[in-house]
Amino acid sequence: MEAIDIALGLFDLLLVFLLLWLAWLVMSSEDLFKAIVLFVAFGLLMALVWVRLEAPDIALAEAAIGAGLTGALLMAALDRLNAVKPMPAAAVVTSAKREQPSLPSKVLPLVALVLIVLGLGYALLSLPDVADGLVPNVKEQMAQSGVKNPVTAVLLNFRGYDTLLEMVVLLLALLSVWSLGGVRKLSPRNTNPVLASLCRVLVPVLILVSCYLLWVGADAPGGAFQAGSVLGAAGVLLLLSGWHVEQKILLWPLRFILVLGSGVFIIIAAVLFFTQGGLLTYPVAQAGWLILLLESAATLSIGATLAALFFGGIPKSRVDQ
Amino acid sequence: MGGLLSDAHWGVLLILLPLFGGLCSFLWPGAVKFIGLATVSAVALSVVGLGDQLLTTGVYHHAVGGWGAPLGIDLYADGLSLFMLMVNALVGLGVSIYALDYFDQGEARRFWPLWLLLLGGLNALFLSADIFNLYVTLEIVGLAGVGLASLSRSGAALDGAMRYLMATLLGSLCYLLGVALLYHSAGTVDIPLLAERLESTPPVWAALGLICAGLALKTALFPLHFWLPKAHASASAPVSALLSALVVKASFYILLRLWLEIFSVRTEGVDDLLGALGMAAIIWGSLQALQQTRLKLMIAYSTVSQMGYLFLVFPLAAAGAFSAWSAVAYLILSHALAKSSMFLVAGNLMHFGGHDRIADLDRAVQRLPITVGAFALAGVSIMGLPPSGGFIGKWLLLNEALNQGRWDLVIVMMIGGVLAAAYIFKVLGFAFTQAPVTHEPKGVPAIMEWSALLLAVAAIVLGFLASPLMLILGIGETVQLMGAGQ
Repeated sequence: MEAIDIALGLFDLLLVFLLLWLAWLVMSSEDLFKAIVLFVAFGLLMALVWVRLEAPDIALAEAAIGAGLTGALLMAALDRLNAVKPMPAAAVVTSAKREQPSLPSKVLPLVALVLIVLGLGYALLSLPDVADGLVPNVKEQMAQSGVKNPVTAVLLNFRGYDTLLEMVVLLLALLSVWSLGGVRKLSPRNTNPVLASLCRVLVPVLILVSCYLLWVGADAPGGAFQAGSVLGAAGVLLLLSGWHVEQKILLWPLRFILVLGSGVFIIIAAVLFFTQGGLLTYPVAQAGWLILLLESAATLSIGATLAALFFGGIPKSRVDQ
Repeated sequence: MGGLLSDAHWGVLLILLPLFGGLCSFLWPGAVKFIGLATVSAVALSVVGLGDQLLTTGVYHHAVGGWGAPLGIDLYADGLSLFMLMVNALVGLGVSIYALDYFDQGEARRFWPLWLLLLGGLNALFLSADIFNLYVTLEIVGLAGVGLASLSRSGAALDGAMRYLMATLLGSLCYLLGVALLYHSAGTVDIPLLAERLESTPPVWAALGLICAGLALKTALFPLHFWLPKAHASASAPVSALLSALVVKASFYILLRLWLEIFSVRTEGVDDLLGALGMAAIIWGSLQALQQTRLKLMIAYSTVSQMGYLFLVFPLAAAGAFSAWSAVAYLILSHALAKSSMFLVAGNLMHFGGHDRIADLDRAVQRLPITVGAFALAGVSIMGLPPSGGFIGKWLLLNEALNQGRWDLVIVMMIGGVLAAAYIFKVLGFAFTQAPVTHEPKGVPAIMEWSALLLAVAAIVLGFLASPLMLILGIGETVQLMGAGQ
């Protein structure tokens, strides 16, 4: 037993140092491509940290979004940067040499950072060791929540209002990207046959995994955010393999799916408000299927939003010309 | 009728209506103007309903999901929340009417969903009694603000929006870290419960520092204002008006609320630091405004300076909480109305002459008398001349500073007023003179002129409404605002 504890302790220590080292490498890397790859590695290690902290829900989300989709988004951004301004390596070096910062402007932020880190470290160390927080309250009310996974109960029931607003945040992220314009030209790319056949196998599997994560979220780690990000990954794969979306779908069917998550949330909130007298007050008997309904809509929206974010600007349509 | 009005949950409607309207306007781009105007009008009516309810039955509480704090999230509205919601509704209506004619078809389709969701986020923010929920609303407000700032797609606008995105994300993260520390220290994120449970420990101090720094960055308190002038000056006119009038006030409101509820008794030194930065902001912002050659940049720096006045509440709050923060709330409302009017005026002048160079305004007073009149009236309120909302707010704040013997604050407020007069008269002076350049002037739609004037007139009329507005602000007023209603 003791040997296992020591081994786990060493493993944790190794994780911490690896994380710090990777973070440093990401920031100090001159090559953006390398930095993104390192960032993905950082996300995967971070997911491991969440596993060690016994937070499997966050680990799943971190692996899917932090390591997976964020990496894909960063790569898409890099791809466009290169397309807009192919910057030769020599130019980067000379501009770096020209703007050699003076000593005080190097030292001052460092001193400030060290002071902040020391102050925060002291504050963290003086936190109470064991803090239950709201865990006892959640346990007490689990029977009334309609689900068996406490994380889902908090996200969709006890603090469902936060999740409603989070769905709006997600939609706003996409609206803000669309606000930037930058319609991507859907030039017929040379689709790789290997990628295409991989896609044919992987996409159905990803959709299945997404459905599983959604369903299992009621009792075990999983739920709309994880399921949605897996669905989003399927969308990214399809886009990469040159999947052509019909113009008709890009008009309002796409918009409909994008607002489905927040829309269903708001409508259910309003209906419950007028029938039950409270915002998002589920009747105990109906809580289970209402949560499943909300999560299904949210999964579709999250998946569509993430894939649309990867796609970039507003899809070309007559409406937005 | 009265019973029906006071029983309805106007607070919940104020959140759901604009969010739903935002989604609808995204789904039906062809009807954005109709959906948008209908939603904003319904929100304004709901604010009236909520006001009626609060005046008859006192503070409003709603336990979302029926759980109640600490497990669930509570909505809460008292005089201060109602006041902020009024700011939203008044400025929102004025800017929405202006936007009807300002944007072309394509821009309107992107503007309305973002603006309605922003309005929903702002309303939710002012109604929340939960510091984590406040974080989520801050995210809505911040992201919608960035989307709006980049709406015109010009290079300057994208640059400004990018700076704004970085600043607002950093501010949110600092705030979130502070929330995590508070949650771990007290086991709750509900504001009244936090007020009961928090003790003066290192984590609470760290949280105070993080939350103050994060929110000061989002509120553009000197010297963290570096992002504001560019972001606010390069956006489209209605967007500049919304950002300067509403968005920067939201993060200030959270800071004020947390200060009054949680931090007020545990802050030796921090209050004076915030006050000193506020004083520096008044002077620095005014001096910068005076030097600008572009009208929109001048107005943006004026915002930096006027936000400085708000931070004077912190050194004054310990000895005279209500009289200090009610004065600041008055200033928020009058600044929001006057500043939104000024940005709309700048939009009109740019539409008319194609530029916003102050020196080349070229007898604008003869060509756009209503617009220049709106600028002058808004200027009266910004300078703090009687009779105007700005005058009442500054007068109340000055009185409180005198009562507490804070001569440093008094002197800075005086200097700020003189400097404000200088930069506003500079613009008005050029509006009367003839510029050497010739350009093709374009007509300005009447709606755009009148909505700017209406907002400016509202800022002046505020000067005559001190007693009813103080009555509203006093709803639920005790030392611990939120705890009192439970």
